[in-house]
Amino acid sequence: MTTSSDTRQLLVDTAERIFSDHCNKASLDAAERGEFPAALWQTLCENGFHELAHTTSGVELGDVFAVLQVAARHAAPLPLTEMLLANRWLESSGDTATVGILEGDRITAAPWGRSAATVLGLDLDTGELVHVSGGQVTRGANMAGEARDDVRVPSGAVRTVQPEPAFELIALGRAVCMAGTLQRILALALQYANEREQFGRSISKFQAIQHNLAIMAGEVAAASRAADAAIDAIGSERFGLEVAAAKSRIGEAAGIVAEIAHQVHGAMGYTHEHTLHHFTRRVWAWRDEYGNETWWQARLGRHLTALGADNLWSFLATRG
Amino acid sequence: MLQFDRIALPPETETLRAEVRAFLAGAGEHLARPNSDFTTGHDPAFSRKVGAKGWIGMTWPKRYGGGERSFFERYVVTEELLTAGAPVSAHWIADRQSGALLLRYGTEEQRERYIPAIARGESFFSIGMSEPNSGSDLASVRTSAKKVDGGWVINGTKLWSTDAHRNHFMIALVRTEAPSDNRHAGLSQVIVDLRNDGARIRPIRNIAGGEDFNEVVFQDVFVPEDRVVGDPGNGWKQVTSELAYERSGPERFLSAFRVFVELVRAAGADPSPAQAALIGKLASHVMTLRRMSISVAGMLEEGKSPEVEAALVKELGNNFEKVLPELARLVVTSDGRSAGAPRFREAFTDTLLLSPSFTIRGGTREILRGVIARGLGLR
Repeated sequence: MTTSSDTRQLLVDTAERIFSDHCNKASLDAAERGEFPAALWQTLCENGFHELAHTTSGVELGDVFAVLQVAARHAAPLPLTEMLLANRWLESSGDTATVGILEGDRITAAPWGRSAATVLGLDLDTGELVHVSGGQVTRGANMAGEARDDVRVPSGAVRTVQPEPAFELIALGRAVCMAGTLQRILALALQYANEREQFGRSISKFQAIQHNLAIMAGEVAAASRAADAAIDAIGSERFGLEVAAAKSRIGEAAGIVAEIAHQVHGAMGYTHEHTLHHFTRRVWAWRDEYGNETWWQARLGRHLTALGADNLWSFLATRG
Repeated sequence: MLQFDRIALPPETETLRAEVRAFLAGAGEHLARPNSDFTTGHDPAFSRKVGAKGWIGMTWPKRYGGGERSFFERYVVTEELLTAGAPVSAHWIADRQSGALLLRYGTEEQRERYIPAIARGESFFSIGMSEPNSGSDLASVRTSAKKVDGGWVINGTKLWSTDAHRNHFMIALVRTEAPSDNRHAGLSQVIVDLRNDGARIRPIRNIAGGEDFNEVVFQDVFVPEDRVVGDPGNGWKQVTSELAYERSGPERFLSAFRVFVELVRAAGADPSPAQAALIGKLASHVMTLRRMSISVAGMLEEGKSPEVEAALVKELGNNFEKVLPELARLVVTSDGRSAGAPRFREAFTDTLLLSPSFTIRGGTREILRGVIARGLGLR
């Protein structure tokens, strides 16, 4: 990484302030009802975050993903991965743009496609991007209540060639955001276990609870390290394979961590009133977006069988 | 939040890695039945060759025969030896923790007497911690050392001491004062000469058919004064100082690595979907665990004592190496015929029979989870 850690820290601190100001139970619920979080987006624009991923921003892509992880820790109700990358690829500023997958004459599951000035459709066969403005929108949502809209592609829509690995970059966004969300879920579970009293003492004093929290901590630490490794691989020839490892490893962690977090929270965490589900539903949804664990594992696995058994270790024994 | 920093191995480790691979390529007679478990394969001749290369005691001062190299360089050597399935058991404990302990707490005379021989791959050490009634509850050890004129007299029994019947020395944790309210007080570490002091050593057969661990009985065994390591009574602190070395290394997640290699071989160039997915899954775990383990090596390099992080690597790593053969067997063809994938079957059989030990040795899963919980502020 050539980026200075000071730059990253400054961005992360600023992002932390913005997202903690704007993300709370009320704003998350409003976004789920379909209200675009305009105030949050405006604040991000005022602070220059909308252009963060521009090739001219002077910010490394790795720093952009560090900011995405902060956003995820607060369950920021914006598809920042797609919005920032779309702005990068469009070289646009200010306008809201998003990205979905091109399937026939539709772009599917475009986050907040209804509010976007431009929706980009990623053609998985050619790597091209189809540009759509004002296309007919069918609203939808993933299981976290995040807007995932289908958009009709009019005939003759503009196509551009995208030299960057767009699919892998968005998948990395999901992986990094899952890691950030898992960090928050662990913090919520630790806090709850310390506060909740049963049998005359805090439930964090029970060995069964302690062991479950220890398992969570291991999975969260692994997820965080895996996310960092994939971020560090941006631009390298191994990038797609590192994303494969990260997206699948973190997806595995997500299932384990979310399950234990709900068990620790008991019935309280099963209520809509509690905030836990904003985080657990997100990781459950993101596991399956842009390739689930099995899909990425198979991609990595086929690469390794092609290398052969006697080259397995050389592939794994990287410096970074 | 437990932090595992992104740490890259320094560039010079690539040259070293190539040297280790070249060495192993020429050591075929020692690799007849490769096994990545660090407790199987006791081969003094191989250990002497490793010592001659300067790959034992790599981080220690040169004046004691060490290499004054970094923990990252040591890391590269250990992971290359393990993944190749090399027989490392003879020198492993001495290299990993006994030497470091003697450097930190030993007298100058002890350092000069024991450490250079360890670094040459000629002097091998065993651990003397567990007892028949002291496993996870290590502070309850009862083996005693009583002060007599010119030394100490030891009585009691140590258990599960790997390779005590083959190695030269044991560093035994013994009670030098009567038990008190402070369970951690009154313990000391003593060097026992396993071949000359008169301890009775009985190998214990394990479920894999091997005889690696032992019962070591002390009946009025006299050791001279100069065998006590550190200050009498400081044993508990010394023992726990070894834990970060003991728990964070690649041997805590690579024990089943040969099964992984043979799974890839058995899957061949055209793997089934299930095989491809499992191979990718296992790779994603190794990549992540390895990076976490290297993060801990970085903390050791900085002089920190990352005991909680080490416990977490061991807990995650042991569970991984234990489940690896279980998952692998389900995707290798099993249609009733005996033929097919003989190398996989060999590695699988060896490893599965060893696997119950993975989550017991060096701190059980339950103990590790307790250490992690303490690190999370829950205890």
